[in-house]
Amino acid sequence: MRKDHADLEARIEALLGDAAYSGHPLREALDSLWQYTSQQLTRLERVSHVSDEFQAMARERELGLIERYDRQVGRMSRAARISDLYQKMLQDLNRTLREASYRDPLTGLFNRRLLMDRLKEESLRAQRSGHGYVLALLDLDDFKGVNDAHGHDAGDRVLVETAGIMRGAMRDYDLCGRWGGEEFLVLLPDTRYAEGYEVLARVLAAIRQHPVRYGDRFLSVTASVGLAVYANGENYTDTLKRADRALYVAKRQGRDRLVDESELS
Amino acid sequence: MQGDSYPENPFELFGPVIRWVEEYLERDTRPLALELELLYLNTSSIRAMMEIFDLLESAHGRGRAVGVNWYYDRNNERVAELAEEFKEDCTFPFAILAR
Repeated sequence: MRKDHADLEARIEALLGDAAYSGHPLREALDSLWQYTSQQLTRLERVSHVSDEFQAMARERELGLIERYDRQVGRMSRAARISDLYQKMLQDLNRTLREASYRDPLTGLFNRRLLMDRLKEESLRAQRSGHGYVLALLDLDDFKGVNDAHGHDAGDRVLVETAGIMRGAMRDYDLCGRWGGEEFLVLLPDTRYAEGYEVLARVLAAIRQHPVRYGDRFLSVTASVGLAVYANGENYTDTLKRADRALYVAKRQGRDRLVDESELS
Repeated sequence: MQGDSYPENPFELFGPVIRWVEEYLERDTRPLALELELLYLNTSSIRAMMEIFDLLESAHGRGRAVGVNWYYDRNNERVAELAEEFKEDCTFPFAILAR
């Protein structure tokens, strides 16, 4: 096609240039037509050139947008991933704090805060189900003597060992915590008096039979227990008071023994 | 920079910081060392830190001396892992140091 166009162009240029046709009306008409055609051609070329320019520009901009968009998406997903990791870290930290908030750091047993919460819960459960719980306060005998004779490290050792012995002598669902100082609280959920008595007697025997090793010494340890059964409908603080009074009686009767509330006068 | 970051308006807090880094890197020729001891960052703070690291990265590409020292408590390895995540795309010196 190009070749034909070029030939046509050459032929017309030749005809228009030939002096033999000058003055001929067809030559003039051809000349006008030829000029008009080339003007149109120039215009057309300009239009298509401009259009091409626009297309190229638009494409370039689009590429830039896609690139920028991809980069932003990449950043967002990285930020989201890092954010998820931070959340995970906070969650774990929370769990650790929660764990720490209800454990006694020395013995690893539950602390007084958790014991109080569980006492409230168990009291409500007992009221609903009609099955009471047994509550016991256990106090190490002559703990002050251990501290005085062997130092506080020895005292701590005794507390830690006793905690381990207690846990080992109880059932899985029994709850044991450090109530304060050398005093422990034992909560036996859904348990009758006889069963509870048996568990606590076992605990006392275990403590008595396992002297605590401190350095090259063995320190014999005993404990006294006051035991009370939750009476349906009462406030747990009343149960606690009876256990405390029973413990006092056990101490007064000579220690290393278990006294229950029925022995309260 | 140190501590936790969960600002209500992140642009108010980080806007000036980012602008400062940008301007310092543009106008000055001295090195820039970032000392960080960051613990918790919320999502917008993470975005802001990424933006700052991007500025450092491009300055590093232009041959500018930039660097980050991110300190963490050796009892909290998780912070080091998070710092690693930030470090991933950075080619400039980025040290994660236990304290």
